[in-house]
Formats: sequence, C-alpha cells, structure tokens
Amino acid sequence: MKLNARVLVAGLAVVAPLVVVLVMNLGRDPHVIGSPLVGRVAPGFTLRPLDGGEPVTLASLRGRPVVLNFWATWCVPCFQEHPLLVSAARSLGDRVRFIGVIYEDSEEQVRGFLARQGAAYPSLVDPGSRTAIAFGVFGVPETYFIDAEGKIAAKHIGPLDEPSLEAKLRQAGLSP
Amino acid sequence: MTAALGRNLVLLALLASTVGAVVGSAAAARGSAVGWAWTRRLAYLFAAAMVAANGLMVWALLARDFSVSYVAQVGSLSVPNWVAVVSLWSSLEGSILFWGLVIGGYVGVATWANRDRHPEYMPWAVAVWLACGAFFAFLLAGPAQPFQTVSPVPADGPGPNPLLQNHLLMAIHPPFLYLGFVGMTIPFGLASAALLTGRLGHDFLRPLRTWLMLPWTFLTVAIVLGGWWAYEVLGWGGYWAWDPVENASFLPWLTATAALHSALLSERKGVLKGWTVTLVLATFLLTILGTFMTRSGVFNSVHSFTQSAIGPTIFVFLVLALAWSIALLALRIDRLAAEGTVEPALGRDSLFLVNNLLFVLFTFTVLLGTVFPLLVEALRGVQMSVGRPYFDRMAVPLGIALLLLMGVGPALPWGRATPQQVRQALVPPLMGAALVTAVAAALGVRRPWTLLALAFGGYTLQVTLRELWLPLARRRARGESLGRALVESGFLRGRRRFGSYVVHAGAAVVIVAIAVSSTMGTSREAQLKVGEKTQVGAYTLTFLAVDEVSEPHREAVVARVGVSRGGRELGVLSPRMNQYERQREPIGTPAVRSSLFEDLYLSVMNIDSASGSLGLLAMVNPMVGWIWAATALMALGSLVSLVPSRADTRP
Amino acid sequence: MKRLILAAAVVFVGAPFAVAQDAPTGAEPSRVVGAPRGKALDGDALAARTEDVAGLLRCPVCQGLSVADSPATMAVNMKGQVKELLARGYDQEQILAYFENSYGEFVRLEPPLRGVNWLVWLGPVLALAAGGVIVAWTLRARRRAGSVEPEAPLPGPDTLPDDPKLARHVRRVRELAYGWPDGRPPGTSA
Repeated sequence: MKLNARVLVAGLAVVAPLVVVLVMNLGRDPHVIGSPLVGRVAPGFTLRPLDGGEPVTLASLRGRPVVLNFWATWCVPCFQEHPLLVSAARSLGDRVRFIGVIYEDSEEQVRGFLARQGAAYPSLVDPGSRTAIAFGVFGVPETYFIDAEGKIAAKHIGPLDEPSLEAKLRQAGLSP
Repeated sequence: MTAALGRNLVLLALLASTVGAVVGSAAAARGSAVGWAWTRRLAYLFAAAMVAANGLMVWALLARDFSVSYVAQVGSLSVPNWVAVVSLWSSLEGSILFWGLVIGGYVGVATWANRDRHPEYMPWAVAVWLACGAFFAFLLAGPAQPFQTVSPVPADGPGPNPLLQNHLLMAIHPPFLYLGFVGMTIPFGLASAALLTGRLGHDFLRPLRTWLMLPWTFLTVAIVLGGWWAYEVLGWGGYWAWDPVENASFLPWLTATAALHSALLSERKGVLKGWTVTLVLATFLLTILGTFMTRSGVFNSVHSFTQSAIGPTIFVFLVLALAWSIALLALRIDRLAAEGTVEPALGRDSLFLVNNLLFVLFTFTVLLGTVFPLLVEALRGVQMSVGRPYFDRMAVPLGIALLLLMGVGPALPWGRATPQQVRQALVPPLMGAALVTAVAAALGVRRPWTLLALAFGGYTLQVTLRELWLPLARRRARGESLGRALVESGFLRGRRRFGSYVVHAGAAVVIVAIAVSSTMGTSREAQLKVGEKTQVGAYTLTFLAVDEVSEPHREAVVARVGVSRGGRELGVLSPRMNQYERQREPIGTPAVRSSLFEDLYLSVMNIDSASGSLGLLAMVNPMVGWIWAATALMALGSLVSLVPSRADTRP
Repeated sequence: MKRLILAAAVVFVGAPFAVAQDAPTGAEPSRVVGAPRGKALDGDALAARTEDVAGLLRCPVCQGLSVADSPATMAVNMKGQVKELLARGYDQEQILAYFENSYGEFVRLEPPLRGVNWLVWLGPVLALAAGGVIVAWTLRARRRAGSVEPEAPLPGPDTLPDDPKLARHVRRVRELAYGWPDGRPPGTSA
C-alpha cells in the first residue's frame, strides 16, 4: 500500500505536540495556582489592629517566625481552623508571632466572632484588601509562614491542620 | 431493579455496537449483502438500547427512584419535574448517557435513511459509527456508570447544581449542543467510508454534505444559545469569554463550516476532495478533543466537570481516533481522484481554497491559544493565562476577513474570471458598503475595526441579497408573480442555493452585530440610595425599592429600578442578587430590556436592603438582539437547504 | 503592531522589577515597579482606562472573567487598586507587573512577550504565512499543470459520459439547448 509521506508527516507534526502537551498535563489541577512570593521577602504592610492601638508593621515583627493568616467570619474552613490557630498561638506565642488579617468582612461581625470563639492574637483590618492583593491572596483561608528574616517560607491554602501547621512552622525556622 | 435493568441495557448497547462494528467491517470488506443486513440490524439494536436506557433514566428521575446512583446524585424531591428531566444531562454520568442517546438516535436514523443506498460505502460507515458508539457504551458500562445500585436507598437527593435551574435556556442549550457535537460522528463515518473505499464521487458527496449540515445547524444554534445564556444569566454583560470549553465547541464549528464549503466545491467541480475529507475528520476529532477538554479537568474553565477517571479514557479514544484518521488519510487520500483542477486564476473556485485557509487558520489560532497555558506549564512549570484580550485581538481580523470573503466569493463567477468580470462583480457592492459606512459614521461610529466590519457587512449583504434576488428576477421577467416566484425559486426548486444564501445573510448580520455590540456599548456604575437616579445612554434609571424574595433554592435581594427615556416611562426592571445554598459568592441575575436596536442591561454589583443602597451596573448594548435573531435566520436557512430534493431521495 | 513593540520594550525594561528573586516586595507599589511612569489621570479618562487595564487582569476568584467583568469582591478591590494606581500616574505595564508580582503570570490575561510566549503571538502569523504559501503554490502548480495536455481527451460535442444515466441527460440537454435531434450533433449518426 502506498503511503503519502507528506500527509503522514504533516498529520503527525500537528497532532504529536498536542498529544504530548495533553499527556504531560493529565492529573494536574489547573485551578491551583502556585504563589510566586514563596522564597521572597514578604510584602511590607502597616495595618491597624481591630481592637485599636498602634498600627502593626511587618518590619516590627522581624526576629521571630510569623504566621500570617487571612480569614473571614463568613468562611466555613476559617471557622474550622480557628481553634487550632488559637491553641497554637497560646502554646507557641513566645516563639512565633501569630497575626490574623481580616479579609472582606465587617468589623462588627469579626468582633462578635472572636468574642464567641476566642482570640489569642491580634487581627488586623485591611481596607480595600490592599495587603491581601499584595500577598496574592486568592481566597480564604490562606496562611503565610514568614521566617525571622522576613522571607515567605511557605504558603498554605485552605484550612490548616496540625501536621501542615507543624511542617510549615519548621520551614519557617521554628526549632522543634 | 431499575438500576439492574439500566445496566443490562447499557451492556446490550455495548454488545450490539461492538459486534456491529466488526460485522460491518467484514461485510464491507467482502461486499456481503447478508453482512450488511446484519450490520443494519445491530445498528438499530444499538439505537434501541440507548433510547431505552435513557427513557429508563428519565423515568427514574421523574419517579425520584434514589436506588439508582445517578438519581441519588442529582435528583431531589423538592425540584419541579422539568428540572428532574433536565438533570439527565446536568452531571457527568448522565451527560454521557445522554451522549449515548444522541449517538444512538443519529446512527439509527442515518442507517435507516441510507439502508438502500450506496452499498459500497454504507457498511464501512455504519461500522465506524458503531465503533464510536461502542466507546461511549463502554464508558457507561465502566468508568461512568449512571445505573449503579445504591443501598440503603437514600430518602432524598441534593438536586442538580442550582445555577442550572435558573433559566429555561439551560434546558435547551445542552441538547442542541449534543445534537451538534455528537452528530459529527455521522459525517466522520461517511468520510472514513470514502477513504476506505478510495472513492468520493458526486453521489456520495451529497449525503456527506447533508449529514454534515444537519449537526452543523444544531451546533451553530447551540453555541449562540450558550452565549445568550451567559448574557441573560451571568450578569457581566458579555456573551463570549473564550473560555476553554466555549472554544471546545467553537473549534469543530469552524472546521465543519470549512468542510461544508469545501464539499460544495468537491461536488461541483470534483476538486479539493482531500481537503474535504480532512476537514470532516478534523471536525469529529475536535469534538472528541472538546469533550476531553470539558471532562478531563485539565483545563482551567468555569464549565469543567470535576476530574475523574474518565479523562484518561477519553484521551485514549482521542489518540486512537487521531491515529485512525492520520493512517487513513496517509494511505488513501491519493485515491480520491480529483476530477479536474482548481481554477488557478481569480474566481469563485480559487476563493474556496482561500476560504479553507482562513478557517483552518482560525481553528489553529483558537486551538493554540486554548492549549498554550498547558504547554507553558509543561515546559516552564509556570501557570499563565491566554485570555479574552488575546483571542479578541486574533479573532477580529479573521472574522472581518471571512465577512469580506462571504461577499467577494459569491460575487465572482465560477471558474476563471476575466478582469472585466471581476470589475463588474466586485465594484457594485461597494455601494452597499459605502451606504452602511455612511450611516454608521453619521450615528457616531468612529472605531476603525467597527467601521471596517460595517463596511464589509454592507458589501456582503448587497452581494447576498442580489444572489437571492437573481432567480426571482429571472422568473419575474418571464411573467411569474412575485409570490409564486419566491416559492418556486426559494423553496420548491432552488432550496439549497436559497437556504445557503439566507445563511450567509444571517452570518453577515451576526458578525456585524458582534462588532457593534462589543465596541459601541456604554456602561455606567453607580452607587444609589432609594429614590436616587442615574443616567446611561438615553435612559434615566431611578432606584425605586429593594425587595427580599425567598425561593425554594435561593434567597434573593431584588432591586426595583424604574426606566424612562426622553421623559417617557418605560417600566420597571428588577435585577437581583441571588444567594444559593451551596455557593459562597452570591450570583447576580441581570434584568434586560431588549428593543429593536439595543438592550438596556442592568446588573446588581452590591445591594443592601437594610440601608437601602444599591451598586448598579447599567449598560446599553447595541444590536445584541440582532445576534440571536440572525442566528435563528441562519438556522432556518440551513433547514430549508437541508430539505431533500428528488435527487437526494433517488437510490 | 506599534503598541505591541512598545509593550515589548516596556516589559524588557520593567521585567527586572517584576521577576527578580530578591527584589523587595511590598504593599507599596513603588517598591515593586518603581516610580510612576505615566500621567496621572482623572475623571472620564480615569474610568475608561480603569476598565481597559482591569480588562487585562484575570480575576483570581472567578477565574473565567477579567477583573473588569467579575462581580467577586476581590475583583472589585483589585479594580479599585487599579484605579488608584492610574490616578497616581502609574502606566499600564507597571500596574500589570505589580499584580503579576503578587499573583504570578497567571493574572495577566494577555501573555507578556517573553520567552516561549512569543510562540502564541507569532504562531498564527507564521501559520498565515505558511498557509498563504501553500495556497499560492497549489494554484501555481495547477496553472502549470493546466497548461499540459491532460491524459484523457477533453469531452467534446461528439463524446458522451460513461455513465448511461448521465449520458441520457446530457443528450436531452443538448436537444433542448442546441436543438440537436436526439442530442447528437448534426452530421453524426447513431
């Protein structure tokens, strides 16, 4: 049987790259976007705490690892991870700074939530979500683990659990 | 019991299609009439099994039989019956079952329609159809089973995705899409048969064209219905976002349109046969790629079903179908003897070649843009986006070039055109172009691409209307009345030609309407308190009141906005913000007031009933209604063209 | 086209700010993209340019829509920041680079002209050129082939097609059109 080599080559030239690209992407979730900030210096911010007092700057937190948690009261997974963060803050508070950043929420709702669920660390108000945008937040909850020098060591998307919290704290330089 | 019966019907379909594919191939290779008779029977059996399985599932959905796994997944006691029926295609397994229904239906009808004809081609064609059918039956029997037994039987189900219950369009968009998509299997089988027998004569090009044009009609309507749904339901004011799944439906439409035109030239002049079969095969392959894109979860799309085992399975079928097509083309394309040559000079014939080029280029561009993020991910491990701005930038020149070609091509005579003929053909329609451009400029259109689209649109419409008028004029010159001439030349005798030019007219209007609506709109955002007014275009909008509405599947806050223009009250529009139980972000439903030349489009950005405040997005979108109306015209023209003539029905 | 080249030039100048690994990041945009390079806008021009630039950013929440079109609160906030930056005089490329610094290349809806991205911009152009060459070559080859004597004799007034049904019709047409009895040219016999 005669073969039209030109058609064969043309067909393969068009089809093979497509097939290869598709195969290489099988199994990957395209909605999970990697953060470009991991490994780089964290964006600086100056934000007012919910309960009043001096504005908190990121620079002032240097020297100890920082857990920066973006959250909101309307977010169910935030509600789920809140007790873990509170207990971790209580037990590690002298070695690690825990900071919450309120994401698109009303201050009244947050105060009520913290009164009911307990608070162990300050929550900062982020008007216009400028800090969330600077950190590249897609949604809540997202938690950034910043090391003592101010570099973002790790990012956690979704509610935290104990193993992830421990592992990422270690990445941020917390000695076990 | 229902579930078991369903599983058995699926297995029956799988068996009938697999055996039928084998028997059909053997019958075709040996030229056996008995084999062909058995192939037909197996095809009918496959069709019957699929129809029965779907009927059973619809019955189970209506009866709320939660012992069937798919019903437990998407059924609910609290949804109305029409939603229960629509749930058939609302989730993965059901949509594959629905695919089975459509392919079974098409195979059954296409086999029956050709039972006495083209005996050297048909067994091959039916074998290929049944092989494709077997794959989908396999999916239903294996990775995507809708008829699993659930035990213990749950008392209720969650119901389908609430977004899908919003609007009637959701009920008709998927069936049209499937009738288009799945229908491309039929011309695929016919083209494969042509390659396998090594012949593509005038007699077989007719059914190829017919069975390509029928799904094409459905696909055209389906794509536009999808855009209409996005426009009416989603609230951002647009109708096309170049989402990967949207592109997945558009790609086969492009190659199918090219194939239709190429087939026309193949039928008339016996040339471009290789192009025609390649384009038909590509259309089917793109539908399989399209379903892979939608179901594999590999592409970042708002329409994606969640990832499941079905992705790799469809991928394997895609690779097999690609291998089949390339092998068939490489081995047999040379046998499709051309009965002449493409006229090398400027004339209608050579422009068909340019037409093929433009459509293939368009297909390539959209495919490249859609797949590119995956390529970059594979090469650099970085996620990037190829979004609407890129596609718009690429599609605009291509769409406008095609618009012009729709005018220039039919204007020129067949074959070789002398320079004088070219001049005589191409100069007069400039009048139409000038007229439309002048009117547009007078109405304030200044953007160059929009003016160009309008100019070309005027040109093409003049050519198309003239072509529609010519046979009428000839009949009138012989003394016939206008009415009789219209019926004779349009419907009784010249259907194909008449219908095709009606499609062209509709297509020209669609392209112009898209150009105008996407560039000439105005929009205004305003934060209003109750009683306050704002202005958009010629309309004055007054925020009258806030209402809270409670519906079984959603809570809504509705804004009542009074509309007036030039002092005249035009009514009240009620855009709303809906909060669905299972969605975090509320989803707005816009309110649209369509008039002849424009739509007033209101969408809620934020709304608070306590404080009586409303963030309103108001747009005036010109000519959007023309897109929907002109598409309907295209569909009508296509259907008229499809009504078989005596030449088609003769054995 | 000019805008494309200009954008490319700006990217190659601005890229170091956006892509360097140790570059200071910050909620203050000037730390990321430097001082404003454009003109401060206001009024209608500001509103129009906000829509334009926001239309080039991808909403991180509703990922199928641009920041200009998306109703998500995050998109509204991002749009607000776009407006702010435009009002301060940042130009389009700086604003896009600022968001890219936080969210990655994903957030840009138009692929920036760097590295392998050139493929998606040039691909269609090259395909058009290649297609044009193919079409021109096909037609020219046909023209050359057309001038050669075809193997089979061209049909003439005294030949009929092989297919008997077709031959019957051809004879009928000749009868009607030319008035030839039985469709045969005058001077020929059965």
